[in-house]
Amino acid sequence: MESIKLEPTKRTPGIDFNFSAGTFAISGESYPEDVNKFFGPLIEQLEQHLQSLSGGSATVTFDLIYFNSTTAKILMGLFETLEEAAAAGNAITIAWSYAADDSNMEELGQEFAEDLVHANFAMVPKS
Amino acid sequence: MRAKDILDLREGLMRGGVLFCYCGYVTEEVLSSIGDAIRDKLALENTEQQVSRGLFAVFVEQVQNIIRYSAEKQEGALEDRAVDLRHGVLAVGRSDGGYYVSCGNAIANGDVPRLRDGLSHIQGLDRKELKALHKEILKGKTPEGSKGAGVGFIDIARLATRGIEFDFMELDQQLSYFVLKANL
Repeated sequence: MESIKLEPTKRTPGIDFNFSAGTFAISGESYPEDVNKFFGPLIEQLEQHLQSLSGGSATVTFDLIYFNSTTAKILMGLFETLEEAAAAGNAITIAWSYAADDSNMEELGQEFAEDLVHANFAMVPKS
Repeated sequence: MRAKDILDLREGLMRGGVLFCYCGYVTEEVLSSIGDAIRDKLALENTEQQVSRGLFAVFVEQVQNIIRYSAEKQEGALEDRAVDLRHGVLAVGRSDGGYYVSCGNAIANGDVPRLRDGLSHIQGLDRKELKALHKEILKGKTPEGSKGAGVGFIDIARLATRGIEFDFMELDQQLSYFVLKANL
């Protein structure tokens, strides 16, 4: 699959999906007008890629400054998709990067990761 | 309009501690632009980052509620695009050593009971319960709207460290005015 690279805008995050390397990054701010329009095609391609993996690996990095509540629903779904891929035998690593003094972002990362059993998860505080 | 009229308007707002106020049709561009100005203003005041981030997040949720749900709207087609404008009032201010975001918009009378029940429910929850409900809704276990309030209101309640207040006032046979204030 072709790599996807989107520069961040005021209300949409930067996207760096490298399917051949198995690295996926979402960074910046996310409060788009239409969250499904922005994330829908991206999530779909990521899901297709994960389903095609067999004993493969993927590393997903979240480095978000702010996201709104509708983005949170998308992220929760993404975590569930990643956990399923891990349960199917793939090595999935998720990194949640956040400003060390942002307790709200820290709490949200923990909340998303609570139900992970098979996927590896790391909180990455930045000073 | 004479200078006195505008000054009186300004005086009234300032008495309420208002730092930013907007009354009119709101778009995502209006949201981002005022949001940026709020961030800059709070940064200049050396406001604690946690408070500043929370205030911005509450502001976005409140304004996006207006953009999505205000019943006072104007729709139409311009040459190159469709336009859907929603009317509301946004105010960000200072009170009792903290900050508040207070927003208002018209809603259908029929939506008042559902919204009132949902917000009353959220208002009565502690941090732990809000977190649990937030997670439930994110995971799709509680259908959005089933408790009269979507994930946005729960987000606002979680971020409003000094609580939320809300009020409704009937305007006519169709519409009521809805105001939500979040205190941080």
